[in-house]
Amino acid sequence: MKSHSLLSLFLSLLIFSLSFTPLLAPDSHFEGFDAEDDVVEDEPVDLDSLHRVTDLPLTQSESTSSPPITTTTTTTNLDSPDPQSDPDPNPNPNPTPISSDPQLKPSAPTTSFDYWDEDEFEGLPVHQQPQLETPAVTESAASTDQTPDTKMTEEAKNVAVLKKNSYTVEIVCVTFLIMFIINYFTGKRENENLALAWATKFATKDSIFEKNFSLLGVGEGDDSPLLLKEGQNVFKFYASGRRYCSGLLATMELKGRHDLISRLYNLVVPCKDEITFEVYMNDDSMDHVVFAMAKKKTAKIMQKEVRDLNKFAGLITAPPAPKKWVVEDLGVASESREVAGDLITEAVLDQVFGDKAFEKYGKGFISMHFSDQHPGTHRKMLLFKFALPDANNIGDMSRLVALVPYYIDLIGRYKLSPQARSKTEAARQKAAQEAYKELQNARQEALQKKKAERRKMMEEAEAKLSAEAIRRKDAKERARQMKKGMPRVKMTRAH
Amino acid sequence: MSSHNSASANDPRQPSTAKPFVATPVAPQELPIDYAGFIAVVFGIVGVMFRYKICSWLAIIFCAQSLSNMRNIETDLKQISMAMM
Repeated sequence: MKSHSLLSLFLSLLIFSLSFTPLLAPDSHFEGFDAEDDVVEDEPVDLDSLHRVTDLPLTQSESTSSPPITTTTTTTNLDSPDPQSDPDPNPNPNPTPISSDPQLKPSAPTTSFDYWDEDEFEGLPVHQQPQLETPAVTESAASTDQTPDTKMTEEAKNVAVLKKNSYTVEIVCVTFLIMFIINYFTGKRENENLALAWATKFATKDSIFEKNFSLLGVGEGDDSPLLLKEGQNVFKFYASGRRYCSGLLATMELKGRHDLISRLYNLVVPCKDEITFEVYMNDDSMDHVVFAMAKKKTAKIMQKEVRDLNKFAGLITAPPAPKKWVVEDLGVASESREVAGDLITEAVLDQVFGDKAFEKYGKGFISMHFSDQHPGTHRKMLLFKFALPDANNIGDMSRLVALVPYYIDLIGRYKLSPQARSKTEAARQKAAQEAYKELQNARQEALQKKKAERRKMMEEAEAKLSAEAIRRKDAKERARQMKKGMPRVKMTRAH
Repeated sequence: MSSHNSASANDPRQPSTAKPFVATPVAPQELPIDYAGFIAVVFGIVGVMFRYKICSWLAIIFCAQSLSNMRNIETDLKQISMAMM
């Protein structure tokens, strides 16, 4: 449904853009196109006039009285393609008396040309005319003595250059747009194939998620779709109904294969297809655990920038001595050494994170982050981030995916030792107190601000009031004094 | 069958606790910024103001990009219609 409407929308855009092109081209390029057209259409006229000029000597030799008139006619004919700039509003009366001359009968085509000319330029704006005509006219006037062939080639060259210049942008842009559209559909298909390959591998019957979760897919009922498509490169998979956790949301963020520009950008800055699992743990089935593991650099950055890691966890540099440890590439951040030691079990080392296994199975591993102090709506959450292999080798990440249910069970059952628990409890209380203090501070600040504002308001109002009160008092007093004085005056007057 | 499964110790599935998926509504402010649409608008304005046709063409291309990148039609249509203008 969605994709259909999107497709139709895109097609409509395409049509619109294509219909836009002829509109745009003359609009943005009005002058260039007109110049070309005029040059092309002027050529027969020039040739005509040229022919007449070459004819002229013959007529001149025959009659001596007419030559001055014929020369004037040729000039008027040359100027005549420009009726608007001509001081005479109607150029026709000028040639007609001359054409009555029997020797200039062949100039009938010129009169017809004049009519054609008027019609041709009827609809065009006036101010463009002289600009376009003058070069052609001057050129024709200057090159009257040249042979028509050389002139033709020159003009043809000009036209070709003009045309080339004006169309290159359009050609490039239209080809790019066409490539963009083709890439949109092929890239979309590629992304969908990758997501579907993942879903068929891990979420169909007898697969790992089917065995671990009772509800799969984003819809309701048994036939619900497994994947939710968000945009062209984000796919979501949801599963629920398992012990220890209330739900799992996997988000696949694929490369922007459908987008040619981001594809080109990715040639310069490569990126990966990523999948992120968010497991929402039940409140009662996760002890105080703050733990993260990633490549060393990333682990350092995470420890600094992720808030709960920064608050509760430190980088574990030296592994617990008697135990085997993860590959050197990986960095671990944890609240305590005990937690790190308990969460990195023999099985996990054997399967993925050990020295031997990591080369083979851990390629796609990006990071892992478990926390009971997650900021946001769900406080207890497990986050896994893996890179997706390509659609044909999707099975390469099966061991990584198997980590998800494994850790759900491990953390669901995990209980801290009493000493560690007291420590973490203290840390959490401290953090809670800090948070509470911060909250209170913020609240108090807000209150104080409000109070200060109110006080200011009151003071201002008081100042106004007091000024008014003083004025009123003054007025009253004056009135009283006036009253005191008045009766006497009245009395005196009355008497 | 499912109840039987949940009773057994080895099967981790618990259908009784299954919750259907609730799509979290995303506020328009939290959507990733549509750079392409923004660039398209800028190019479009430049193209109209200075009559550079290459800018108009770039605007169309970036408009196509933003169109292909949009997440849901409802929120983005407004911007696209803006860019098309």
